[in-house]
Amino acid sequence: MSDPALPGHHATDNHGGQRSRRSFLRTSAVLASGAAALAASLAPLRELRNYTSVEQWLQKYYKELTPDEMAKVLKRIEDEVERQYGLRPQVRDLKPMDGVEFVYALNLTRCIGCRKCVHACVAENNLSRNPEIQYIRVLRMPHGSIDMEKAEHNYNPELVPEKGYFYMPVQCQQCENPPCVKVCPVHATWQEADGITVIDYDWCIGCRYCAAACPYWARHFNFTKPSIPKDRLNPDMAYLGNRPRRQGVMEKCHFCVQRTRVGRYPACLEVCPTGARKFGNVLDPDSEVAYILKRKRVFIQLKEELGTSPRFFYYFDV
Amino acid sequence: MNVQPRTSTVLTGLAVLFLALAAAFLFTLWGRPAPLPPLPLVDLQVVNTAPVRTNLADLIRMKADLSDFDCYGCHENNKPPPLRYDANHNLIMPEEHKDIVMGHGRHNRNNNCFNCHNETNLVVLQTRDGRELKLEESTPLCGSCHGPTYRDWEAGVHGRTSGFWNRQLGAADRNGCVSCHNPHAPAFPPRKPAPEPHPLRPLAKPVLASERSH
Repeated sequence: MSDPALPGHHATDNHGGQRSRRSFLRTSAVLASGAAALAASLAPLRELRNYTSVEQWLQKYYKELTPDEMAKVLKRIEDEVERQYGLRPQVRDLKPMDGVEFVYALNLTRCIGCRKCVHACVAENNLSRNPEIQYIRVLRMPHGSIDMEKAEHNYNPELVPEKGYFYMPVQCQQCENPPCVKVCPVHATWQEADGITVIDYDWCIGCRYCAAACPYWARHFNFTKPSIPKDRLNPDMAYLGNRPRRQGVMEKCHFCVQRTRVGRYPACLEVCPTGARKFGNVLDPDSEVAYILKRKRVFIQLKEELGTSPRFFYYFDV
Repeated sequence: MNVQPRTSTVLTGLAVLFLALAAAFLFTLWGRPAPLPPLPLVDLQVVNTAPVRTNLADLIRMKADLSDFDCYGCHENNKPPPLRYDANHNLIMPEEHKDIVMGHGRHNRNNNCFNCHNETNLVVLQTRDGRELKLEESTPLCGSCHGPTYRDWEAGVHGRTSGFWNRQLGAADRNGCVSCHNPHAPAFPPRKPAPEPHPLRPLAKPVLASERSH
């Protein structure tokens, strides 16, 4: 208002030049410090770089990406991971194989509740160590019935198995009729042709509807930025699989797509000391899971009455 | 007349406010999440995929010292070693074989070495139907008694598998019986469980469901 540099003001300003200069200096000092303060107060915006980038912001929906665009996206992710963890990963976009439908079978007679699968999964899938996110929960229940009310997560005896208890690991059941997919308002999660329900972490808006819809407590939310020690990062990554997640997105078990879609067994299966976990293509009549479903005493599916029709079967020997 | 001083007072006030905000943001005076209590990283032994036992086939592959398996270094040829039993019909283990714990089968019924070992040729195993098997190829011997389990094992359903589920893309690594079971005491040994989950807001001490008042 008192700025003498403005021609309009100068014309109407009839006071002495000294006063004008003083008010000019004062006002411009105030304006300059004000502008600097405003810029500094916007400082938190700089941190946005850690959460997102322009390329990610402008990225198209997963199913609409052309192969060229996908290659660029994968390179962006590799760059981001390298900047953050100092290690160049290999990120792939793996598609479902033809004629494959994955099924998991878990032998409750053999499981001893040692929780090795839990930690092998954490290591393989780059899960946050603090706060902890774990895709597999091992429930300890007393013999006699499968009663979730009596289930216990935090058992910690000297030795497992304990007398009078059995153990039931629960993870994403890869339902044929998944409630989590139905509630997603942005189609950031969907079921693929091989039966795996996947999440596009770049499309998820973090509304957590899916976590509320899932009857198996299989979905886990990144309330904070996941923390993964640099020396424990698994560099073999897949876009829909174990690439590091951002704060504010949902994640869950994806049957290790980075392994199973190249023909390998999931990490939880390979680490199981008793061989209680079995995995394979149920459409192949010679597969292990087809043998189990045909011949073993299969306790159909967990919470069968909900109609979710899991692809995860619990069975017993004998 | 007082317009200009008031304006500059307001502007100065705003500048001070912005500076204060800037300082608050820079040092994150509020909205700073409480630091999480540190969690110990899990021992890498927990994610080790090796089977629980090292068996003879592994030792041969590793070119280890096999002098323990040279039966006729101590035993005499063509002279079946005698078995001695105490009053309760428990096998008395000779001093040289004290490391062997007999625990195969319930009620101490399977206490004859030559149910599996060949009496006249100690370096081989023998099934009840007369087949002779090398010490490192014991799986069919186990199968000669444990039929249904052997059938499951052959189908890949009993026991550990690693590698490729899709056999066109790669090989699967199967383990034999003795990779997990000690043939002299085959029950799977109990083990220490890996660390339990830590809740986001840790309780002073997790209350087990069994300890809660009903």
